[in-house]
Amino acid sequence: VSHKTHKGQIVKIAAGAVVCVESEIRGDVTIGPRTVVHPKARIIAEAGPIVIGEGNLIEEQALIINSYPENITPDSEVEPKTMTIGVNNVFEVGCTSQALKIGDNNVIESKAEVGRNVILTSGCIIGAFCRVNTCEVIPENTVIYGSGCMRRVQTERPQVKIPCFFKYSSIFSSSIESTGTLLHSF
Amino acid sequence: MASLLQPERVVYLVRGEKKIRAPLSLLYFCRYCSELRSLECVSHEVDSHYCPSCLENMPSAEMCQLFDCPCCMHTLSTRATNIPAPLPDDPTKTTMKKAYYLACGFCRWTSRDVGMADKSVASGGWQEPENPHTQRINKLIEYYQPLAHREKQERDRKKLARRRQGMPLAFSQHTIHVVEKYGLGTRLQRQRPGGPLSSLAGLTLKEGEDQKEITIEPAQALDEVEPLPEDCYTRPVDLPEVTTLRQRLLQPDFQPANASQLHPRHKHLLMKRSLRCRKCEHNLSKPEFNPTSIKFKIQLVAVSYIPEVRIMSIPNLRCMKESQVLLTLTNPVENITHVTLTSCDEEDPDDINSSAKVLVPSKELVLAGKDAAADYDELAEPQDFQDDPDVVAFRKSNKIGFFIKVIPQKEGDADVTVSFKIRHDFRNLAAPIRPSEEGGEGTAEAIWLTHHVELRLGPLAS
Repeated sequence: VSHKTHKGQIVKIAAGAVVCVESEIRGDVTIGPRTVVHPKARIIAEAGPIVIGEGNLIEEQALIINSYPENITPDSEVEPKTMTIGVNNVFEVGCTSQALKIGDNNVIESKAEVGRNVILTSGCIIGAFCRVNTCEVIPENTVIYGSGCMRRVQTERPQVKIPCFFKYSSIFSSSIESTGTLLHSF
Repeated sequence: MASLLQPERVVYLVRGEKKIRAPLSLLYFCRYCSELRSLECVSHEVDSHYCPSCLENMPSAEMCQLFDCPCCMHTLSTRATNIPAPLPDDPTKTTMKKAYYLACGFCRWTSRDVGMADKSVASGGWQEPENPHTQRINKLIEYYQPLAHREKQERDRKKLARRRQGMPLAFSQHTIHVVEKYGLGTRLQRQRPGGPLSSLAGLTLKEGEDQKEITIEPAQALDEVEPLPEDCYTRPVDLPEVTTLRQRLLQPDFQPANASQLHPRHKHLLMKRSLRCRKCEHNLSKPEFNPTSIKFKIQLVAVSYIPEVRIMSIPNLRCMKESQVLLTLTNPVENITHVTLTSCDEEDPDDINSSAKVLVPSKELVLAGKDAAADYDELAEPQDFQDDPDVVAFRKSNKIGFFIKVIPQKEGDADVTVSFKIRHDFRNLAAPIRPSEEGGEGTAEAIWLTHHVELRLGPLAS
């Protein structure tokens, strides 16, 4: 585990994680092993720390942000809440996640938005462009899809994408010479 | 303001069997009758069926091999997994065999959700569940089809007895348009030899011969019905398990109430149809046979023959005050078109929707022909039309902008509507060119067509 201070904030990246330097990571963020963070992803811990578990996949332009709720100004006294993200989650391209607690094996598809008061358990799939802003615990294996955010329960969980990790780390390391992408891997 | 360009703002009146007001983009123009036609005054004929996702032609009897997800109606894809299975020779050893199942990429439904076993072949092999009522329904259809046929022949015979003998051709066309009940559709009927034309020859029904009497048992009414389960009102509803109305009604033969009974449906085919004018029986629209092609063999749409009026800008409209509205008029044909506008008379039966008075330009407007190379030709000669600047705002190749004066009449009007008549010359290139008397080149005769146009200008300014 190595610590990297950047403008007075602490980012802890575990050994075996692949984090691209083009990504923006601000605040108190902990990233677990075998997690891949693509370029242009943003992980911003404003109102509290973010702890990301193992084996997650955070794709381009994804935004994981622990921000202040809308009606509270940063100056007032608010206790910082930690945002926890479990293992094997996938944050697809362009999604936004503000949920304080995310379990395991969830998939947040492209351009989906998950609000602060949502708690994702495990095996949930938030479909592309679906906005979930309710104040609830989404039960396990729920699929939210469609323009009306219809829901159903799936019986088959998608297989965990362990082989993807090795594919990405080989792609990123081989692209150092060609595109100049800088790579942090400790 | 993009909303001004919406086609529903300007409608043309079609004088067919019913008076229909529709935007010009939805209308057809029969150049043999020289009249506008809408979708309701043409006859639709099915050309071919095709599958919308694999874009393949299907003879109408076949069903496509693809399935629709019963949950979200998207196309299902076939996925393969490796499952261990015992070797046929040696039951103790297991080998990986491929098993196929259907899955939806949108809502993550799989065929395993309803208990359908995985198949060992990639395509085919998916069976539809049997409907317990199929046999009874087939018997009922068999019984009623000859009855309906007999009824139709009776009706035709009565009609023929009233008409004179010399019009058999018009008569047969009429019966072709009347669709037989429980029948297979007009096109297939026309191809069958034993159709209405043969009944004209004899004028008597051949009863008894070739007609086997089919008897069915009448439906039995039961006094006792299965009672509702006792916990019907108290059992909590399992929401993910209940099907939505849309999912249920898309399978009318089963209408399952539980999601565990939702089986995939065969993909519905789309059809390509051709349109035919009812008066002169000419084709107005005939698409290409190939499903991957969007072109037409025959495309007599109104926008290629009739000048189109569009709204360009509307000032603030005030009740009882005159305002100038800017409209554009586009000429779709290649020769010069002369257009005259007249406001509707007081007692015009077509003028039912207008809520404002309109003053249209009294002079004739001249539109230049459409020149396909005009965009590329920068050295084009400027057109020399003497335009009155009070009437014509601008002129650009085959389009002009002109002013009309609108005086809204109703206080608090939510949608000010004006109407006027537009009269233009139309050269019928379909008609044979008659040589002119001087022996020079003959040009097609110009006829004058008049259309009734209505414009919706929106609410009064508050």
